[in-house]
Amino acid sequence: MSLFSRFMDGWRKYRKPGYYDEFDYHWTMTIDLDKCTGCEACVTACQAENNIPVVGEDEMAKGREMQWIRIERYWEGEYPNAKLSFIPMMCQHCDAAPCETVCPVGATYHNQDGLNAQIYNRCIGTRACAVYCPYEVRYFNYYDHEWDSPLEQQLNPDVTVRGKGVMEKCTFCIQRIRQAKDVAKDDDRRRVQDGEMQPACVQTCPTKALVFGDRKDHESQVYKSMNDPRNYRVLDELNTDSSVFYLKKVDA
Amino acid sequence: MPNIDRREFLKLVGAGGVSVGAGFMLREANKDPREYLIPHVLAPEDFSSGLDTFYNSVCSMCPAGCGISVRTREGRAKKIEGNPAHPVSQGRLCTLGQAGLQALYNPDRLTAPMRRTGEGESASFEEITWEQGLKQVGDRLDLLRAARRGNRVAFLTQGVRGHLAQLFESFMRQLGSPRLLHYDFDHPHTLYAANQQFFGESRLPYYDLANTRLLLSFGADYLNNWISPVHHSLGFGESRQGRADVRGRFVQIEPRMSISGAAADEWIPAKPGTEGILALGLAHHIVAEGNYSGADLGAWTNALADYTPDAVAEQTGVPVNTITRLADSFVDTTPSLAIGGGAAGNHSNGVDTLVAVNALNYLVGNIGQEGGLVLNPEPAGPAVQQHRASYSAMVELAEAARQGEIDILIISGTNPVFTLPPAAEFAEALAQIPLVVSLSSFLDETTALADVILPSHTYLESWGDDFPEPGVGFSVGAVSQPVVSPLYNTRGTGDIILDLARRMGSSSVMPWQNMEEFLKYGWRRIYQRGDSQTLAQGFDAFWTSVLKAGAWGETTNGSTAFTLNPDVIAGIGVAPPEFSGSEEDYPFILHPYLSPNFHDGRGANLPWMQELPDPMTSVVYGSWVEVNPVTAEEMGLSEGDLVDIQSPHGQLRVPVFVYPAIMPNVIAIPIGQGHGEYGRYAKGRGVNPIEILSPLLEPITGNLASSATRVNLTPTGGRVKLVKTGGVSRDLGRDIVQHTSLGVEVSSAADNSIPITEVTT
Amino acid sequence: MNISIVPALKVLRPAAMLVIVILVGLVLGYWANATFVPGNSPEQPIAFSHKIHAGDNEVPCLYCHTQARRSPSAGVPAVSKCVGCHLEVATEKPQIRLLMSYWENREPIPWIKVHDLPDFVHFTHKRHVLANIECQTCHGPVETMDRITVSSRAVNGSAQVGHPWKMGLCLSCHRENEVVNGIDCLTCHK
Repeated sequence: MSLFSRFMDGWRKYRKPGYYDEFDYHWTMTIDLDKCTGCEACVTACQAENNIPVVGEDEMAKGREMQWIRIERYWEGEYPNAKLSFIPMMCQHCDAAPCETVCPVGATYHNQDGLNAQIYNRCIGTRACAVYCPYEVRYFNYYDHEWDSPLEQQLNPDVTVRGKGVMEKCTFCIQRIRQAKDVAKDDDRRRVQDGEMQPACVQTCPTKALVFGDRKDHESQVYKSMNDPRNYRVLDELNTDSSVFYLKKVDA
Repeated sequence: MPNIDRREFLKLVGAGGVSVGAGFMLREANKDPREYLIPHVLAPEDFSSGLDTFYNSVCSMCPAGCGISVRTREGRAKKIEGNPAHPVSQGRLCTLGQAGLQALYNPDRLTAPMRRTGEGESASFEEITWEQGLKQVGDRLDLLRAARRGNRVAFLTQGVRGHLAQLFESFMRQLGSPRLLHYDFDHPHTLYAANQQFFGESRLPYYDLANTRLLLSFGADYLNNWISPVHHSLGFGESRQGRADVRGRFVQIEPRMSISGAAADEWIPAKPGTEGILALGLAHHIVAEGNYSGADLGAWTNALADYTPDAVAEQTGVPVNTITRLADSFVDTTPSLAIGGGAAGNHSNGVDTLVAVNALNYLVGNIGQEGGLVLNPEPAGPAVQQHRASYSAMVELAEAARQGEIDILIISGTNPVFTLPPAAEFAEALAQIPLVVSLSSFLDETTALADVILPSHTYLESWGDDFPEPGVGFSVGAVSQPVVSPLYNTRGTGDIILDLARRMGSSSVMPWQNMEEFLKYGWRRIYQRGDSQTLAQGFDAFWTSVLKAGAWGETTNGSTAFTLNPDVIAGIGVAPPEFSGSEEDYPFILHPYLSPNFHDGRGANLPWMQELPDPMTSVVYGSWVEVNPVTAEEMGLSEGDLVDIQSPHGQLRVPVFVYPAIMPNVIAIPIGQGHGEYGRYAKGRGVNPIEILSPLLEPITGNLASSATRVNLTPTGGRVKLVKTGGVSRDLGRDIVQHTSLGVEVSSAADNSIPITEVTT
Repeated sequence: MNISIVPALKVLRPAAMLVIVILVGLVLGYWANATFVPGNSPEQPIAFSHKIHAGDNEVPCLYCHTQARRSPSAGVPAVSKCVGCHLEVATEKPQIRLLMSYWENREPIPWIKVHDLPDFVHFTHKRHVLANIECQTCHGPVETMDRITVSSRAVNGSAQVGHPWKMGLCLSCHRENEVVNGIDCLTCHK
């Protein structure tokens, strides 16, 4: 076997979605851009749920914001025909994630639930993953952030407070997934049911633009939603095989 | 043994001693910091360490009255979520509601009662006990009441509903004072007045966005700050993509694109203040085309005679074919709905404008229809009189204070020094009042001028209730219960008022010991409305079930039958808007709008809200003025250029943001920043456009025509960096937000200046 | 060749003495701290003995740590729980009098945390208790300890006094028992 074909074999195997023969769950989100109003309730919900620090004006000016989900805005046309479209952007939990291939310490990897995991205590802060991520959704702690007392009383005990030198990003609210699985186990159930758990952003979205669930459950809302004819994935040409599906905005 | 001299021996002993100590400390330093496990003395019933407890309550961050469910852990509030059982929020919540936790845990909260000492520059606050504070206020109240001079007491509060409103009312009745004022900057006075004129009731109807197929919004930013944004968003989502075969179409008419404008399918800029004229233009076309056939057709034809599409196009700047097209589709698409408010209501012709919008609904039969405008039943809460204070009512209060007619002013939850234009001279009036008492949780601009501060709990620590206005077509109520124990030495607003009532000898009329007791007393009446099953279970079971569910509702609908008073038709007509300042001196119209993050400024002390990028511009931590790109180019302005904005009543310096969707002669500044007090996060950041508003009024309501101030704009040559998160806000061929016309038929209206398509059924 | 290090040592002798004294001192200090101020077995405000309760009197662990079977944290009993028994039992002992003084003053007892995981580890007692894993597997023979100390018998079944609470302890057990997806990092780190 030539060196080249061996390389190609490895490449194909590697580029196979995930590193698992089959995912256990396959957590997926869909975002209906025809419903999204850009109100940013998701941003604050995420910030409250995931102990995301407030970095301050000076850090914001340097582009060091920390919000795991952000609303991007794209203007089209000029006055009076100017139009504005919003798109919520967070970690796409790519099944062929560029960030996972580059971490020298394996702090980011794909798990059996189709999640792109970020393990803070393993991270040594090379920031290579942030460079590789085409969606620019990884955020780095340049400092040990502090909460003016008593704001720290709000911190979620189920989520680690990240220290200086650590990369962080959207987890699809892994703490809620774990809790739902825990409850499912108690009930002697094998699977988490559709709608049993939602990440903070999905839960609060006032227009129900965000839908979350297990794509392996073909009865689930998210499975139906991701098979909507309007579905597409952002930067799909990069073959990241992302787990976040967007539904196209309808021009009418 | 080698010789060691004394000097060397001592050296060795010293080094040995130090190193033993160093070794000891080395290990000590490597230990984890000592942590403690502090148990309860007596474990509370609802406490279990490591497990969540959810409490249902009511959000008080804005007047919408959404039901919330607060996750607490070990007695601390961790997360606010929407309460799925509450018909208004249905499990959803907006960004400001989510940030309520930072009001509770705000580091700048007032922690104990305080009293002003010293005068003028040297004035400061000293901490006092509750007994001292309540006695100081209570004794004065008692004296005034005994002397039958209770009318020298004024009570200024934010718009409150439910039993707290009733409590305030009884309190003032005991004093015999009519001066109870509910003041909010953004209260839609003109909308209430327009509904009074048109429907004969001063209430808000339910706007059934979820079932409508075409929404015309005249200036109402219904997805953001207008009345009940979470409920409107739910309806918007449902109307857009919630139904199998129909997709609702949304049209927004406003001079500056708001969040609702961005979400709309079509954004139509109309000259500020002419929204009502445009509505009548549509009405004219509907009647002229023979699409209205009511018995009062003749009256309508007469009333609308002047509003021909040509005349209206001239006045509004909206092309004739857009007017006729909108009118036709408003008739053809059923159900359809027109709403009006926001900036459109804040003009000198505000009431007439909103009556015109109601007329539009009437002409196509949207009133009482599913997907239209549904009249609400009487709210189930306690009957409280109308105390809504418009701008002119506030000016009257200030004038009375200057005349020395007010001895005591109690202020609760509202911040008029920040939200009233300086022309009202409210701060100066406060200085004339011998005793100003603030019940605020924060040292805001108004509280900073108070003589005594009796700090109240935040909404997450206190008892209350709410009956959302507007309802959702049927009666809804909810009890707001404390979700955490009070953090500081503060008290509930209701408890403070009840205590003061006792001190002025009103305990026979207001016998309740605290707000919780009063609430239970009041909710007995609602309990008695229940069916036999509820009554059989007793009040305690009912009360517990209301607290658990976090919402109470009853399926009595409002009346669908509506007959229009014929006199209304003759009075229909919208005068051209008046502006303060001449067009020559002040070529721009200032469009101040409620910030999505800060509402009327109340959210500015929340760090999450400060760091939340503004949805439209992505700016954080500051203020900016939005300028049309063409205007900016003509004036040689680009993003970050500092400009002076001058109105007949003041001047501001603020950086420019070039905004693609604003009319060329309009500039917009968000309200919310520019605080002089209000804690470390808010103080000294950005500008407050209210400071330069002219005191121009809407004559019927006395509402401030806050969108009717003319300004000029002078470049200063200075520049700042606008801190924002967004980079290039154009797609540049990356195809990130993709569009489709799936399921939609494109019409061939080629001559339209703005393309139009119709939804297929 | 006649090379000797003795002359060099003679020159260096005072310095060598100093180095030796410092090294011995450091070791001595470190040992003294480890022996007399043990971090993994601090002196508690009340000399509560697990040996007397769980060992001699065979009180089940979950009688006091009731939360362990339904919550991530096992919880320490409220003072009222101690008083529940000690109103009647052993009321004259000095430590019980100390307990009653806390109770009468309505003060909580400031127990010092012994079993402490780093904040980035999210262990849940509930799952392990419900899987019928003995408390002693991780906490060691608590029923024999007068003063609690960190130990465990999970690794190779032998008690490892000192620092058994490392990630290897969790992983080896999860591997041995073939916990489903039990070695996924997100199981404990989130």
